[in-house]
Amino acid sequence: MGPVELLHMSVFSQSFSPCGRFLAAGNNYGEIAVFSLSSALSPEASEISQKPILTFTAHEGPVFSLLSTDTHLLSAGNGEISAWSWTELTKRNTKAVWTRRPQYKSSLEIPEINAMVINPRENSLAVGGGDNNIHIMDLESGVFKSVLQGHSDYVHCLSIREREGEILSGGEDGTVRIWDYRTGQTVHSIEVYKYEDCARPQYGKWISCLTTDAEWMLCGGGPSLSLWHLRSLSPTSVFPLSGCQRQAAFYQDLILSVGEGQFVSHCLMSGEVKSLIPCTPPSLNTLAINTNSTEHRVLTVGGSSDQIDVFTNLSYRAFSLSF
Amino acid sequence: MSPSMFNFNEAKDKFTAATRNALDNKTSKPFLTIFNQLPGNETEKKTTLDQALRGVLEGEIVKKKNSCDDFLSLIYLSIDGVTEGICSATTPFLLLGDVLDCLPLDQCDKIFTFVEENVSTWKSNSFYSAGKNYLLRMCNDLLRRLSKSQNTVFCGRIQLFLARLFPLSEKSGLNLQSQFNLDNVTVFNKNEQESTLGQKHTEEKEEGMEEGEMGDEDEPAPCSIPIDYNLYRKFWTLQDYFRNPVQCYDKFSWMTFLKYSDETLAVFKSYKLDDTQASKRKLEELRTAGGEHVYFAKFLTSEKLMDLQLSDSSFRRHILLQYLILFQYLKGQVKFKSSSCVLNDDQTLWMEDTTKLVYQLLREIPPDGDKFATMVEHILNTEENWNSWKNEGCPSFVKERPADTKPARPTRKRQAPEDFLGKGPDRKIFMGNDELTRLWNLNHDNMEACKSDNREFMPTLEEFFEEAIEQADPANMVEDEYKVVRNSNYGWRALRLLSRRSPHFFQPTNQQFKSLADYLESMVIKLAKELPKDLPSEEIKTGEEDDDDNGDTLLKESNDSPGIQNKLVSNQQMDEIAAKLGGQWKTLAVQLEMKAVEVREIETDSEDVDMQAKLLLVAWQDREGSQATVENLVSALSAAGFPKIAEILSDT
Repeated sequence: MGPVELLHMSVFSQSFSPCGRFLAAGNNYGEIAVFSLSSALSPEASEISQKPILTFTAHEGPVFSLLSTDTHLLSAGNGEISAWSWTELTKRNTKAVWTRRPQYKSSLEIPEINAMVINPRENSLAVGGGDNNIHIMDLESGVFKSVLQGHSDYVHCLSIREREGEILSGGEDGTVRIWDYRTGQTVHSIEVYKYEDCARPQYGKWISCLTTDAEWMLCGGGPSLSLWHLRSLSPTSVFPLSGCQRQAAFYQDLILSVGEGQFVSHCLMSGEVKSLIPCTPPSLNTLAINTNSTEHRVLTVGGSSDQIDVFTNLSYRAFSLSF
Repeated sequence: MSPSMFNFNEAKDKFTAATRNALDNKTSKPFLTIFNQLPGNETEKKTTLDQALRGVLEGEIVKKKNSCDDFLSLIYLSIDGVTEGICSATTPFLLLGDVLDCLPLDQCDKIFTFVEENVSTWKSNSFYSAGKNYLLRMCNDLLRRLSKSQNTVFCGRIQLFLARLFPLSEKSGLNLQSQFNLDNVTVFNKNEQESTLGQKHTEEKEEGMEEGEMGDEDEPAPCSIPIDYNLYRKFWTLQDYFRNPVQCYDKFSWMTFLKYSDETLAVFKSYKLDDTQASKRKLEELRTAGGEHVYFAKFLTSEKLMDLQLSDSSFRRHILLQYLILFQYLKGQVKFKSSSCVLNDDQTLWMEDTTKLVYQLLREIPPDGDKFATMVEHILNTEENWNSWKNEGCPSFVKERPADTKPARPTRKRQAPEDFLGKGPDRKIFMGNDELTRLWNLNHDNMEACKSDNREFMPTLEEFFEEAIEQADPANMVEDEYKVVRNSNYGWRALRLLSRRSPHFFQPTNQQFKSLADYLESMVIKLAKELPKDLPSEEIKTGEEDDDDNGDTLLKESNDSPGIQNKLVSNQQMDEIAAKLGGQWKTLAVQLEMKAVEVREIETDSEDVDMQAKLLLVAWQDREGSQATVENLVSALSAAGFPKIAEILSDT
């Protein structure tokens, strides 16, 4: 990787290994890098431990989405989904276990896959992407069971509410659709941009970030990041963050959000922004919290830089991993 | 009758008995009586009593009583003894020392309370000088026995007592050379082997803490939270710089300090503390619980505490304050800093920027960040005063009584000796020196002396000019070059004399004299006329006549019309012409061939046109000199177109 490539690199996705000791990150060149968190966090960490233990090209196009199951790492890029075994990866073996692609209407265009989410109950994978549809694939058989159609523009993000059996999707058309995956029908469709509190017409209406936590949903993008109560389907708080948010997460009693802006925003449920923690990349795309391991419980963020910032204490950047 | 011998042992026993008696009966009367009764001189008795008292104390201590009251009463007794004068002043202190050495710490506390209460006694004149060293040693011994973190309050009391006892400038209490406590090393885990995490293994099990993965007994158990070792190490390394600020002057150490400081302060900046209500409640709970505040003399440097410490506002305040104190030292003037300890410009600049950042961070720390920051700034400013006090060698603060406040006795006005002032019989004023006296006494009154005739040094006109007058007589046929008026010295003196005595000197004359000699000659002639006619008249006559003739001829000449033309323009004439000319002087100026510069000068010199005209004529006269004749002026005027004025001039 020459310096120019490094300069133009963007990290789009991250995923932690099931044991919590490794981090996989995907960038815009279609590469996936695996970092060892245990060595980076150890007392005698050095420059080398902040470099990946393994980098390989996974797809032709950018890796927009990464997801880990109990044993495998799923990566999506260029209209296809590949699965890699974590154990193999740690042994530096970069052979994909399988690669599948959903059935697209036309074989000419290859829509990118923006988001993937797993439904553990049914052991199925839902992918949403550029063809405005959400495809559901059965992980055991590898068969694409159903297609959820409804969005009029491409799907940005997916989220799942296991208990209710609902998939939520946010799209470029500005709607958040709640699907019942069994029936494949849209249960609700929320047009976020129509709500005055959240709407920011100067940015647009797309929804680029979506996450749910029991009763609550966070969504944002063109409109401001807002917290919605799902029962009543109404926004309870709107967060006064300046840029467009690309990923948000609930963590303990905080809301962490990243997007345009060289900082990680910490917000409270009440709607106030508690703090903005500065970080390296000028604009952030992805945020991940390692809940799989207590001793490596770090927050990592990546964006339009080859550096991935690691926070051991949420309030300041400890160090950076680099591609 | 010879005084009976002083028997030491007997005396000592008697004293001992008396002391016990006094103790039991709680009165010191028998004590005193015994003392007075015993034979022997004062010193002997005193020293014996001291010994006796110490012996009694020893006995009491050995008895191992639980209460210290007996000891205290014995010491009171000794104090009474000192005030009565039967006991030497050092005894109470010796007794105190003995007691404190022999008792366990909890009882020492009580004894010390006694010491504290009687601080006024110790400071009184009879005790202070004898006892201060003993007290100092006693307190230091106590301090050495105590632990700063366990017995904080007791240590504090001792220190406070010492502060009250000794004056501020007491040298033993001052760090005159501004040395640092280099032993105050902060220990932290520099590498994994030293990690205390493994040692905490069993403790954690007991506390039932949640563990990630439990390893074997041999392996150090991994901690359950991620640790930023990088920050941890850099942070605690900073403490070394605070411990020994002189390191900062070394370039390499400074670079490290700079780097680590920047990182640490960046973390502080990014990690803002919130002013949560919860923390306030916790503080109040702590206080109400009545728990003892534990004082940590040293930082706790376990890695696991790092996160908690970073989120604690008091901890942050400690660290930021350390920075400020360090910067003050580095910037300040300290007498004992070696000359190599100077900061260069970059370092000074960095220090200033960082000081601003530190204050900003201090202000952001809740609760009451602003107040704290202003308070800190104020305290550091007052520190400067103490610093300069130290630099001066810690002068005493006690103001010396100025010596002249002694009541001024009214001094008797003594009569000056009459002789001295010249009021004595011989009316001589003594100047203290024979010569001066002689001189002074020539004439007492200065004014009179100045008026006396023999101070008249100026000659009369007749005397001075006698010779000149003689020479002026043409009959004498004195040649010009031999005339005394040609002598420049004579001439100068002549002028001076004329100016003092002769009115002729001040009479304006139109005559232009080519030299001083000529002028003097004419003056001489004038004088000769006035002088009393002692001198042979013929000489004068001829001179006079000639002169007269000359004068007459001169006068005549001035009346003749042809003579007029040669006559120089007089002042009066110039005034008249100027008045007549008025504003038209410029045309005349052209005719008189005045340069433009001069014309401009005249214009600026005066506003009045008459004046300007006058100035023009004067300038013309100056330029022409002897050619400034009436004839020339008349022709100029006619040519300029002022025929009338020309006529007037001609007529005069």
